[in-house]
Amino acid sequence: MNFKIRAAKQDDCKDISRMIMELAVYEKMPEQVKISYKELERDGFSPNPFFECLVAEVPEEHKSEEGYTVVGYALFFYTYSTWKGRSVYMEDLYVMPEFRGKGIGKGLMSKVAQVGKEKQCVRLQLSVLDWNTPSLEFYVAKGAQDLTASEGWHFLRFDGEALDKLANEAPKD
Amino acid sequence: MANFILRKAEPKDVSDILRLIKELAKFEEMEEQVILTEKELLEDGFGDHPFYHCFVAEVPKDQQSLEGYTVIGFAMYYFTYDPWIGKLLYLEDFYVMTEFRGIGIGSHILKLLSQTAVKTRCSSMHFIVAENNKQSIEFYKRRGASDLSFEEGWRLFAIEKEDLLKITTK
Repeated sequence: MNFKIRAAKQDDCKDISRMIMELAVYEKMPEQVKISYKELERDGFSPNPFFECLVAEVPEEHKSEEGYTVVGYALFFYTYSTWKGRSVYMEDLYVMPEFRGKGIGKGLMSKVAQVGKEKQCVRLQLSVLDWNTPSLEFYVAKGAQDLTASEGWHFLRFDGEALDKLANEAPKD
Repeated sequence: MANFILRKAEPKDVSDILRLIKELAKFEEMEEQVILTEKELLEDGFGDHPFYHCFVAEVPKDQQSLEGYTVIGFAMYYFTYDPWIGKLLYLEDFYVMTEFRGIGIGSHILKLLSQTAVKTRCSSMHFIVAENNKQSIEFYKRRGASDLSFEEGWRLFAIEKEDLLKITTK
């Protein structure tokens, strides 16, 4: 099957939003999705974008059961390691189940790595849920190291009430 | 009791920032992993496309550290994106020199960061902590942080340059 990997355009946000929800359902956390394609348009396609996105597209004759031709995406952004410098963080990588096993996931990830390389990034990071064995195996096969296992890194978060409370106690300017 | 100010880092601070980065790495028992240089810090933080933002904590000359430093703490952060909730503030490094601890500098830096997060319309502030760093984990949990690795099972992965190059050429 032919497929094309290309940079996402503003028009793609509805498809990207649809697939974000599909991925969230797979990760068993759909109720946590709070933003729609409108926020994606604003945050990804303004003069100061907060993320970059690639999409995988198939020709009309290979469209999905429901008629979609945009069948996969990778959403990423740049981060900074005080030890090593510029890094790429791949936040989401997703291919619709009926289009798997054809190299689309690999194609998307290669393109992210290439974009990162062009910006002189020395590392690509991502996170995976501990029960997601297919994904864990996919990444480990490409050389990914589990830093939570080997170095004990844990993800922490301040959000909602905890963040507001902390901010309210900030010193006045 | 030490006076201190918190301010945005300037290009002249990169030498102090690198020194503090190395001190923190030493504490995390990974000092040899710091390969970043002052030149890169300068270009990456104060060039055309900043990859990070930074606050520093400074004390007056008469309260300088044992070796004579007045920049005695820092926090480095940048903006990331969660496709479920939007913009996030990601805290990359946060450190106060040991001789200046216990007087509220860390708390003030954290509050300033969360105020920045709220002002810039971020839904959340994320960061990582090594699980053996009990002191830091307690510091954050006391202030309301949730441990997502523990609660939701997220594991952090990295693919280093050599393997990245392999991926791009395959």
